[in-house]
Amino acid sequence: MTEYKYAIGDRVTVRDGTTLFHTRTQAFTRGKSGVVVEYRPEWVIPEDEAWGRDDAERGGRYEPFYVVRFLQKDLWPNYTGFDVDTLETEVSEHWLEPAKEEQK
Amino acid sequence: MSHDHDHGAHDPIQASEGVSEFEILERAVRELAIEKGLFSEEDHRRFSEWAESIGPSGGSKLVAKAWTDPEFKARLLADGTEACKEVGIDWLDPTGVGTPSDYTYFYVLENTPEVHNVIVCTLCSCYPRPVLGMSPDWYRTPNYRRRLVRWPREVLAEFGLHFGPDVEVRVHDSNQKSRFMVMPMRPEGTEGWTEEQLEAIVTRDTMIGVALPHADWTASGPPSAAKANS
Repeated sequence: MTEYKYAIGDRVTVRDGTTLFHTRTQAFTRGKSGVVVEYRPEWVIPEDEAWGRDDAERGGRYEPFYVVRFLQKDLWPNYTGFDVDTLETEVSEHWLEPAKEEQK
Repeated sequence: MSHDHDHGAHDPIQASEGVSEFEILERAVRELAIEKGLFSEEDHRRFSEWAESIGPSGGSKLVAKAWTDPEFKARLLADGTEACKEVGIDWLDPTGVGTPSDYTYFYVLENTPEVHNVIVCTLCSCYPRPVLGMSPDWYRTPNYRRRLVRWPREVLAEFGLHFGPDVEVRVHDSNQKSRFMVMPMRPEGTEGWTEEQLEAIVTRDTMIGVALPHADWTASGPPSAAKANS
């Protein structure tokens, strides 16, 4: 059974990590906070897949993934839609940390 | 050869606009794979021909079936990949010649009066090809990919779609291994319709989330014909 560090409903912040290399963690989500809304399976992380380590035998590291829902107004300065608008995307566990609400 | 005779000024017609770096990369990898014996040129041609022939009819079937069968709808929302098998689509091995999707996790996003879903892939052009076929050209453009996440309501308005502040516009950026499809709401005027009738109005754009289905519109003929029939 997959052990998930974060639970559905937890507020999380995407780490403000490097945009170099293949991460598939969009730059526009870095440092932004949202809510975990769904679990995904454990998948090999893109950072390893990019180097041909696409399964365990080749050294690919598996991690739980999550669907994180962001409020659009939290993602973009001067968002022109409405407050209810959201964006969902999938994030691997090591890109998340407990929400830093004080950063907002 | 000289080109000074007079038959009207025009730019010389080019046989080709050249190839992109990605095309060169694809050709190089393909040729290496063929040399290595992973597949033959004929295998490649057949796979391309098949993969490019898949249209959105699989997705239309899923939606029409879900609209008429609540139990199927529950199964589809719970496990999209598994439910696809009920309409003959196996994400792992649809025809015995591979899958047109790079990954095989499929989630169906249900529209409600409160939430309108729309899909995009900002990092490349991920698309649920086993159920919707090849993506439209605009779906793959940086214009759509960049702007849908930043200005979703403006982009939807360009497609003729407007929602008030009581509807949450929810953008799904398929950045990882999942593929998504939108299940639109069944429109008025379709009461008592058969599954086949319903399939016809569930067009590609309604499953991307840039349009809504209407009882008087199918994509199987030109708009002028649809008007004549109504």
